[in-house]
Formats: sequence, C-alpha cells, structure tokens
Amino acid sequence: MLRVRDLTVSFTGRGRSVTAVHGLSFDLARGEVLGLVGESGSGKSTVGLAAMGLHDAARTTVGGSVTVGGAEVVGAPDSAVRALRGARIAMVFQDALAALSPFHSVLDQLAEAYRLHHRAAGRAEARERARAMLDRVGIPAARARDYPHQFSGGMRQRVMIAIALVNAPDVLIADEPTTALDARVQRQVLSLLAELREESGTAVLLITHDVGVVAATCDRMLVMRAGHLVESGPTGKLLTQAEHPYTRALIGAAPTRETVPGTRLPTVESAEASAVDPGAADPGGAPAGPAPAGRVRAGAPGTLVGTAGAVRAMAPFAATAEGGATGSGAPGLAGAVSGGAARDSAGRESAAPAAPAAPAAPAAPVKPPAGGPLAEVVDLHVSFGGRRPLLGRRSEPVHAVRGVSLRVGEGETLGLVGESGSGKSTTARVLAGLRKPTSGSVRFDGRDIARAAVDTRLRRELSREVQLVFQDPYASLNPRRTVEESVTLPLRVHTDLDAAARRDRAAGLLEQVGMSADHLDRYPHEFSGGQRQRVGIARALALRPRLIIADEPVSALDVSVQAQVLNLLMDLRDELGLSLLFVSHDLAVVRHFCDRVAVMRAGTVVESGPRDEVFDDPKAAYTRELLAAGM
Amino acid sequence: MTGYVLRRALQAAAVLLAITAAAFGLFYAAPSDPALIACGPKCDTGQVEAVRHSMGLDQPLAGQYADYLRGLVAGRVIDDVDGTPIDCAAPCLGYSYTLHQPVLDAIGDRFPVTLSLAGGALAVIVVLGVGVGFAAALRRGTATDRLLSGFTLVGASVQIYFLGYALQYLLVYTTDLFPVPGYTPFGDGPGAWAAGLLLPWLVLGFVNAAVFARLARSQMLETMHEGYVRTARGKGMSALRAHLKYTGRGAAAPLAQLLGLEAGALFGGAFITETVFGLGGVGKLAVDAVVQNDLPTVVGTVLLAAFFVVLFVALADLVVAWLDPRVRLA
Repeated sequence: MLRVRDLTVSFTGRGRSVTAVHGLSFDLARGEVLGLVGESGSGKSTVGLAAMGLHDAARTTVGGSVTVGGAEVVGAPDSAVRALRGARIAMVFQDALAALSPFHSVLDQLAEAYRLHHRAAGRAEARERARAMLDRVGIPAARARDYPHQFSGGMRQRVMIAIALVNAPDVLIADEPTTALDARVQRQVLSLLAELREESGTAVLLITHDVGVVAATCDRMLVMRAGHLVESGPTGKLLTQAEHPYTRALIGAAPTRETVPGTRLPTVESAEASAVDPGAADPGGAPAGPAPAGRVRAGAPGTLVGTAGAVRAMAPFAATAEGGATGSGAPGLAGAVSGGAARDSAGRESAAPAAPAAPAAPAAPVKPPAGGPLAEVVDLHVSFGGRRPLLGRRSEPVHAVRGVSLRVGEGETLGLVGESGSGKSTTARVLAGLRKPTSGSVRFDGRDIARAAVDTRLRRELSREVQLVFQDPYASLNPRRTVEESVTLPLRVHTDLDAAARRDRAAGLLEQVGMSADHLDRYPHEFSGGQRQRVGIARALALRPRLIIADEPVSALDVSVQAQVLNLLMDLRDELGLSLLFVSHDLAVVRHFCDRVAVMRAGTVVESGPRDEVFDDPKAAYTRELLAAGM
Repeated sequence: MTGYVLRRALQAAAVLLAITAAAFGLFYAAPSDPALIACGPKCDTGQVEAVRHSMGLDQPLAGQYADYLRGLVAGRVIDDVDGTPIDCAAPCLGYSYTLHQPVLDAIGDRFPVTLSLAGGALAVIVVLGVGVGFAAALRRGTATDRLLSGFTLVGASVQIYFLGYALQYLLVYTTDLFPVPGYTPFGDGPGAWAAGLLLPWLVLGFVNAAVFARLARSQMLETMHEGYVRTARGKGMSALRAHLKYTGRGAAAPLAQLLGLEAGALFGGAFITETVFGLGGVGKLAVDAVVQNDLPTVVGTVLLAAFFVVLFVALADLVVAWLDPRVRLA
C-alpha cells in the first residue's frame, strides 16, 4: 500500500542544509503493521510527514519516491496530494491536545474530516458519520459536543484516531501515538488501534522510540539512526538477535522486569565502542573487556560492552514467550556483566575484566536502610485552589494529596510511583520544602520543615541538605547562564568560597558526572539532553546534600541517554552514600533503581514496601494492574 | 455569564469612580480660577465672587465632588453664571460655563463626529491590519513580506499631523483626487458623509493599523505551526483554508484584545486627527476645555473616554471567550 523508495529529506535554512533522512526505502503491505524505531533526531517523524506530503516545500527538499496505493506523493501537485491526505493516507499525531483544534468540538472536527472527502455529503450526514465513528472508538454520544480540553489524554487520542480513520484510509501513520500516556491508557489505545486495523485492513506505520510498543504491536520493524536505516526485519528476530550493535543497545537500554536491579544498563556509546573494537564487536556477544574510554569520557557509564543488554531476552515484549530464565531467549549472548564488576569499572578505566555472569542472576540484595528515617512525611494533605472570587461561588479545592505517610532512610533510595495526577510530584515538592502542606507533618533529620515553603531562612538551611533534579533538562537550566554559573550558584548562595574555589569545585563536580572542566564556559544549548541532565545533577550535588529528590529525572530522555543517566546516578549513590527520593511513572526504571517503592494513586499511597516485595508479590489490585500494563 | 457581566459592571463602576475622583481632584484643586474665566475680563471683584458662588466653587472640594456624584446619578439643578437655574438631568456631567450648556449636551453635539470617525477608522484598522498582517505571515521571508513589513514600519513611525497634512495637500488641494475633508451628518446623505470622512478614516486607520498588522503577523506566524493546523492539512484541507480557519482563529485572541483597547481610545476622541481635518469631535472639545479651564467639560470628557475603554475592553474579553472555549470568564 505504501511504497517508499530512496526517500531523502533535507531542510534548508539560513544558507545551510541538513539532511534528516538519507535514501530510505521500505514497503508496507495491506493490513501490515510496521514499526519505525529510532531516538529523537533519527528522522523517523520526518519520514511520516514526507509520506503525507506535509513538509513545507519552501524549506524542505524531498527526493525519491513515496507512493500510496500507486499514487505518487513526492513532487505531485498539491491538489493531488490533498485528495490522498485524510482519504487514502492519514496520520495520528503524538500530542493529541496540541493536534486537535481547541476551538471546535470533537464532533465538528470529525465531521470536517469526513466532509473534506465527501463533497456531496451534507452537514447532517457528516455529523451522523462522525457520531458513529466516535461511538466506535468509545466516546459516548453525550460528549460529542465537548471540546478537546475537556477530555482525558487517552480519550483525546481516541478522537485523533477516529479522525484519522473516518474515511477508512489504506495507510495510517501513527507518530508516537501513545508516548505521553500512562501505561494503562497506552495499552488501551494500542489495542483499539489493533482492533480497528483488523476491521478495516488499514496498513499501519507506527513511529515510536519505544521498543516495547513495537514489540507488542508490529509485524516488522525498521530501526533508524541519524537519518539512515540501521536494520530492518521481523520484530521477533530483531528483538532477540539483532545484527547491528545499535539495535541491540537500543533494545537493551531500557530496563525491564527481567533486568537485574542495580546493574549497569548498556548504552549506545558502549555499543559503538564495542563496534569499533573488533574483539568486542562480535555479534555473538562473547565476553569482552571494557571498551576504550577515550571518547566515552563524557559518557563514563558507557564503559561497558553493549551486548550485555541483549541478555535481557525480549521475553516481556514477546508477551507469549515468558521465559523464566532471562538468558534463555538469547542463546550465545552471554556478555552480561555482574552488577558488582560494573560498579567497579565505573569511572575508573582500570576496570577489571568483565566477568561472565550467570544469566538471570537473582536480584541484587536490597540494602537494609542504614539508619533511621532521614526524611519523613506523616499524614500529609495538600489541596490546591478554593479561592473565592469577588462574586460567585467558591471553587472546590483540589485535594492532590490526602493522607500520605512516607519515609526515606539514610542511604536509601525510595521510588515513588504513580500515574499522572496521582500526587507524587506534589508530595516530592513538600519534602523539598517548596510547597506548604495543608496538614500533616514533614520532617528532615528529625526537624520539622513543614514551614520551609513560607519561611525563607528555613528553606535556605534545608536546601543545603536537600537538592532537586528536575524532569526537563531543557527547561531547568537557565539558557543565558553558562554551566559554571548554573553549577556554582548554590555555592555562591550557601558558602563563602571565592570565585576561583567555586570554579575548582564546579570542575570537580563536572568530572564526577562524567563531563569535563572544558564544559564550564559553555551554555546549555550546546549540550545534548543527557549532558544537560548531568549538569543538573552536578548542580544538585554542589552542596554535598544528603537527600536528592529527583522528579522524573530520565523521562524526558531517549532510552539510551536514560541508561547513561541512570548508570551515573547509581554510581554517585554508591560513591557518595546519597539518599534519594526518585519520582517516576516508569515501573521498570523504579524497579531497577530503587530499594523501596511506594505506589500512589489519587493522592494516597496504595502500597509500599521493599522493591522485591512490591514487584514480585504486589498486594494492592492497583499495583498489579500497573505492573500488568507497564512491564 | 450573568455573574460575569455583573462583576464586570461593578468593576467598571469602580474604575469610573476612581477616574472621576482623580480628574476632579487634579483639575479643581489646580491654582486657577474658573470663575474669573467664566465671568469674563470685564467683571469686577464682586461679580466674580457672585459667579464663584453660583458655580459652587466656594464650597469645600469634597462637597463639590459629592454634588457632582449626586448629579451623575439623580440629576440636579445648576445655576448659570447669571443665576438662571439650569435643569441638568441624570446622568448630569455638570454644566459648562464656557459653552453655556450642560456638559452631556456639549458632548452629545459632537459625539456623532467622533462616532463616525472612530467607526470608520476601526474598520480600516481591522481590514488593513489583519489583511496586511496575514498576507505578510503567509508569505514570510519573501519580498512581499519585506515590503508589507516595511510599510507597517512607516505607518508605526509616521505622525498623524504630518501624514494628515501631507496627504491633504497632495490628494485634496494639489490633485483633487479626494473630496475636501469635513463632517456632514449621516442623515444628510451617506455619500457626502463618507466622502468627507474618507481621508480622515484612512489616515487615522493607517497609522493605528500599523501596530495591529505587526501583531497580526507575529501572532499568525506563531500559530501557523500549531499542531491543529497541521492536523487540518492532514485531513486534506488546503493550506490557505487551514490557515484561514485554524491559524486565524488561533491568532485572533490577542488581536481582539488590542482592538478593544484601540476602540476604547478612538471613541474617547481623536484630537489630532480632528484638528488636522477640522472636525469638531469630542477630542477637540476635551482639549479646548482644558485650554479654557472649563472644568466640568474636562471631567466629563475624561469620564467618557474612560467609559469607552472600560466598555470595549470588557467586550474584547467576551469576544475572546467566544473565540476560545478554553477561556473561562472570571
């Protein structure tokens, strides 16, 4: 149905040209689901837009050929492509809130999509069709006149899918259709997509960075990197025995239920290092020594060999083959490295040779909390809003947190898990002294810190001991400040070190997070997302705090970068004996990284306990549901 | 919705009250003697004193203000300079001893001119501003864009008195392309009315449209890469139609806000334009009143201008809420 030949897309602007896609070719057959996988910047979304003919002709050069059911898209006149768009080939965009018009009801937007290709149809008929389609995707008729902002994220994505499929296209391009959604909703949307595909026989090109999504839905997959096709083949084959080290690293970088907690995660750098090292590049994955560390310096965690990741045997993805032993699904991939050896090699180039580890090693033992609670909240309540306007009714306050009790022990990492809106970030902000609790007590090291958010002095004192790492490394660093200025700011506020001493300390911090003193005078925009998050971590470490609160520190990062940052955090934790409160929606990451876990839902803790207890023997029904959907 | 209108009305009343107090305080406390001016140069001290008494200027300031507010709500009877009682019905804005008529009547006489001028200029602002802004945005980076953007820069930087006199000289007196500017009541013939106001409309509209066009262009550029515009094109809509329906809608809210402010300002009188083209509108009335120390007229016109700003800003908010269902009126 969709035939792409030698597709090349370049963006031109300000005298220079960037080629985002280099000579890509593939076919998509009727009813097939093809996964297009790659990290951000790999050019995968550009392919989708090129297939729709949606690139701005003034700034983009598209070469090669894209045919939809035999009709050429590249270079065709606009009117011809318009007749295809929405009728023969349609697209579901990533962020449905942005992709749907905020000004029109979902019914009108759907009816418009129908009428654009059914000129003869009247308003009433189009609305009728739209209602039927909404009903099909599970939007009740009573809500057809509502606006997108009145729906939940999952429902908005359903509307988006309804719009794309209302004219029964031959090809559907789904660009990260579930990326911003919680795991449970993600699963619902994917199964809806699968159902509709079976009904209509529409071929689907699923563009995503998430290998798990591809594993669950796609027949075949393409792996793209920097605009080039790295590898393609049947999903099952690529997941278990990919030829290319990049593919293996991409697949292995995200921790899953099968990953041994606390072990180093393979990264793309390590995969590359192994690729240039002939001994280690063997796809068979023989145990290999640490990769040369020269260029990896910025990515110190990447000193391991990529093949280790493949050991995770894609069992959880393959859904059917739930192999008990991790290694069994990947014969010959014995390059796993034990957690202990990995830690030793961290940062130090004189790493011991990687010891071949037993596949499916039992989970690393959970560290017992070293002391009493370092930070603690008891019966915490937080509500927002409820201000009374000049005239009219008082709006109902929102109870974000209702009766939460948590503690983080000395040297312990507590994972705080929950879907969006569960109150986990609010709880973290209270512990950081950034928000005043409505009621309940908050203590740090035995001291009452409930008033830190309104008491500047207390907040200052607290910030020597408690520091934050934020979710979005793009937004949390001031773009007009050099790395040095950002990292030394806490030192300027809290210590009387002079400028030279601060700079020395900042240089040391950067090296600690795997960067170098040369980076001090640069600005955030000169760095990648992973490097920026390292800078954010260096800033948090500047005052040698005892507790670090990390609110989704890796969720804005690509999987391979996420692996680097997680590796770094694990190294630092061991080196410095830090306590961490790790807020995340990603169960696999929490399982990999945390000693204890608390699961939040609708402002309350539904379950908490040691990691293995929560993951292996969940007590609460909600935890089981989350585990089923997320891992 | 009712609650919103009520709240806005209360807010408006509070603003207007504050404005009257400020205008009253400023002008009535000023060290000048309206009685002397009202009486004329030939008055002797006794006569001036009598006039001062009849104008109520010998009362304490707070008392005068209270009288003024009472008149605004309930109307009152005011003595003219010669002692003739004048009935000033609510809303009484006072009595002009210079013009020898109630301020409201003085404003009422001139308001049709201001209404005609402002209405036409607003139409020019919307058509020219939105048109130029959108055209420039759609052709961003091209010669058309540069030409239109340069044009708006000229508009934003040129002064009305310069442009007005220059065009009047070139288009009316030298070449006879435009009819002589002037005000003919609409009732005397729409053709003559429009002909006399054509040049003032264009000049006042052009100068104000420049700012508007620049905002329209930048808003449009910001909105045209929104996801929903791309979705519309993904449905198979042409780019132009998608921009008209979706980009335009997305860009409209700030434009409506600015237009509300501009409308409020224009309806309060456009003194410079009125002067350049010899139109006797509210703007000219207000400036004359300041020059002649005609305090009731000053306060009255200030109040009127504030009233229109408050009214049009509130209307703009309603329009924005109508344009965007996410906006909740509060």
